[in-house]
Amino acid sequence: MTRQREPDEHLDLRGVRCPANSARALVRLECMDAGQLLEILVDDGEPIAHVPEALDEEGHRVVVQERAEAAWRLLVEVGG
Amino acid sequence: MTPIYLDNASTTQPDPRVLAAMAPYSSEHFGNPAATHAHGRTAARAVERARGILADALAAQPEEIVFCSGGTEANNFAILGTAWAAPAGKRHLVVSAIEHASVLAPCAWLETQGWQVTRLPVDSEGFVDPGDVRRALRPETVLVSVGQANNEIGTLQPIAAIAAICAEQGVPLHSDACQSFTRMPPPPADLIVVNAHKIHGPKGIGALRIRTGLHLEPLLRGGGQESGLRAGTLNTPGIAGLGSAVTLGSTEESIAIAKLRDDLAAMVLDAIPGARLNGPRGNRLCTNLNVCLPGCSGRALVAALDRLGVRASRGSACASGSTRPSHVLTALGLSPQDADSSLRLTLSKWTTTEEIANATAALQEAVRTLRSHP
Ligand SMILES: Cc1ncc(COP(=O)(O)O)c(C=O)c1O
Repeated sequence: MTRQREPDEHLDLRGVRCPANSARALVRLECMDAGQLLEILVDDGEPIAHVPEALDEEGHRVVVQERAEAAWRLLVEVGG
Repeated sequence: MTPIYLDNASTTQPDPRVLAAMAPYSSEHFGNPAATHAHGRTAARAVERARGILADALAAQPEEIVFCSGGTEANNFAILGTAWAAPAGKRHLVVSAIEHASVLAPCAWLETQGWQVTRLPVDSEGFVDPGDVRRALRPETVLVSVGQANNEIGTLQPIAAIAAICAEQGVPLHSDACQSFTRMPPPPADLIVVNAHKIHGPKGIGALRIRTGLHLEPLLRGGGQESGLRAGTLNTPGIAGLGSAVTLGSTEESIAIAKLRDDLAAMVLDAIPGARLNGPRGNRLCTNLNVCLPGCSGRALVAALDRLGVRASRGSACASGSTRPSHVLTALGLSPQDADSSLRLTLSKWTTTEEIANATAALQEAVRTLRSHP
């Protein structure tokens, strides 16, 4: 089993609605270097349905998507 | 002669960099920032980028920033939103007597609805005494409102001392920072009001910082934008413009403007017999000068200067058509006559040494003419 890399930055988007959550994540990703990892917490429901897809469409890679209590934890690799 | 614009407290000329930052959101990036498709995302990104910039500039968190239509709406929202959310039995507000009309008017309206409002006096330079704030607080006080910088006379209030008293007593502090925003560090207040058109941004856009934990009732209900606190499709071009404008100010710039303002003050007070400074000598907003020129009516002065190519004002733009003397100047203790003989000259980052010299000469001429033909 490969060990998960430590995220370089964290962003808690619990309580932030769509599409402001994806937009806020994209703004943070813009400020990071390609290949770095951003850990994001998003709510269940609409957010987990939309955010990974939006980040993917903008050229970033969701490498981990897992339950984190009532929310979801995403690990996103910054696209080039 | 190209006009000399010295009415920057009323509004500023938009910076070309701000206009460039706004333009795409009125053309190819026209999407609704609430839409979840790519067009919406592009717009939402601009909004969230600006929200982050505002949060940094106000020493706040992005989720504490609510965009709205400007300083007037944000002040109304801060005051009415707090009042409407207050528990039954708590119906008291404390406000300084020299606030902008968009603060005083909602307070006055609340009074007609049974609220009690304590209006804090100011000293002869426009300063609120923090001790007066402490003495005004009651168990039923829900909000204290003291602006960071006065729009007519530039007085910079002792906001840190007032904030400490409010925090100690558990009463939220609202501070209108429209005039001071980006020209100095933000006020340490729970509710902070800013707008774009005073800082070389567009008109019709502003923001309210609401500290996490405070509950306000919205003024506008509808589509649930801004976490349900301010319904209405977001003004993406305006928000992008506000964000851009916030990045432009600097301490060096404020120092340079203050130096020019001090030179203008010295020249005017020296050139015009009987001229007196209104407002503080120190702790004054860098852009502001306000002088009393006895023997001239402010209205006639503004008109005479206008003919000579100098744009100035009597005081608040919103009150400039009014015949009543300024509530700010009378609160300092000026007679109605002296208040009526006062003129506000407000500078920007674009004001030049040559302009202040020419403006002083124009003012000298205008005063001489008015005093000889009253
Ligand atoms: C101190 C102050 N507060 C509020 C406002 C109102 O802001 P707006 O014009 O954005 O409604 C202004 C000026 O217009 C102002 O100077």
